[in-house]
Amino acid sequence: MNYLFAFILGILFGFSLNKAGLTKYHKIVNVFRFTDLAVLKFMLTALVVAMLGLYSLREMGLVVFPAVPATYITGNIIGGLIFGVGMALAGYCPGTCVAGAGEGKLDYLIPGLLGFFSGAILYGLTYQSVFPKIAAIANYGNVVLPDLWNLNSILFALLFALIAIFLFYLIDRAGLIRKNKSL
Amino acid sequence: MLNKIIEYIHRDEWSPYIAGILLGVVGIAAVGISNNLLGASGAFESLIGIIGKAIAPSIFSNTYFNYVVPSEITWAVVLLIGIFFGGGLGALTSNTWKLRVQDDEQWKAIFGPQLWKRWLILFIGGIILEYGAGIAGGCTSGLAISGGMLLAPSAFLFIGSMFVSGIITALIIYRGRY
Repeated sequence: MNYLFAFILGILFGFSLNKAGLTKYHKIVNVFRFTDLAVLKFMLTALVVAMLGLYSLREMGLVVFPAVPATYITGNIIGGLIFGVGMALAGYCPGTCVAGAGEGKLDYLIPGLLGFFSGAILYGLTYQSVFPKIAAIANYGNVVLPDLWNLNSILFALLFALIAIFLFYLIDRAGLIRKNKSL
Repeated sequence: MLNKIIEYIHRDEWSPYIAGILLGVVGIAAVGISNNLLGASGAFESLIGIIGKAIAPSIFSNTYFNYVVPSEITWAVVLLIGIFFGGGLGALTSNTWKLRVQDDEQWKAIFGPQLWKRWLILFIGGIILEYGAGIAGGCTSGLAISGGMLLAPSAFLFIGSMFVSGIITALIIYRGRY
């Protein structure tokens, strides 16, 4: 039953990636050129909606959070730096590659998925000599910001949402975006 | 009203805000129903663990594939299969589903029309992405969005550093055309 939910949620996830246009090379790379910020808008909207929903539900005692992704500062940053290179180079990420493969994009289905599987082999086989050392530095464990800074989590989530909405306002109304050069 | 909704579903591209709200609701449902976080990169590791153990058990029976990532069909693997069909469903609703290669004009303007070049770069990009996600503790979905919605500091460190190196990489590739 749980797997059926996973499948349905996966379909909706892939569907949203397709509709947001994130399965296209130019959409992903142009967020790094600030000429099309759809990726940022999509990610931040999802993040804020889920944040407000989950923190409210937790306040009402209706959900328990699963294990929060661990914070180990050096590793989160080094991993992010490596990840950004791949994302700007290839114009996709793990989720959008799979969704794009489902759309019939053979570029994503064949070299894309082979690349992710090769990366998974490489990581799995070098894990023991790389990860424990990096994760041991500045490790805060499964912490969340409101607890770390001792702030009311609902107020913090609301403040975050307001900042995001202000950013969207700057992008869409005040034109905080670069013009696409003709290539 | 209903007609408008149906017409919107058939559109090729949605407002990123509407698509983002949908993903946000999916993220809430994943926690509420299954007590799981959305993610993509971890499923590749589970899948390769299953395949690796079948082909070369001596190499793949290490700490990582035995204990860190379960080498079995996990919730995340089923989710990943769903993502594949979800992308397909989205394309079918807008009549854009098609077996194809090299369909991005901007790519061709920057890298040229050679297919081998595209496939090589996508392959290398996939390796870099999966390795980076491993070190960071997740990818755009599993760490940036799923961690961010729980307000985990790791998510914001990841998003920030991903943008820094992404911008530098784009600057190097695009140079005068950035």
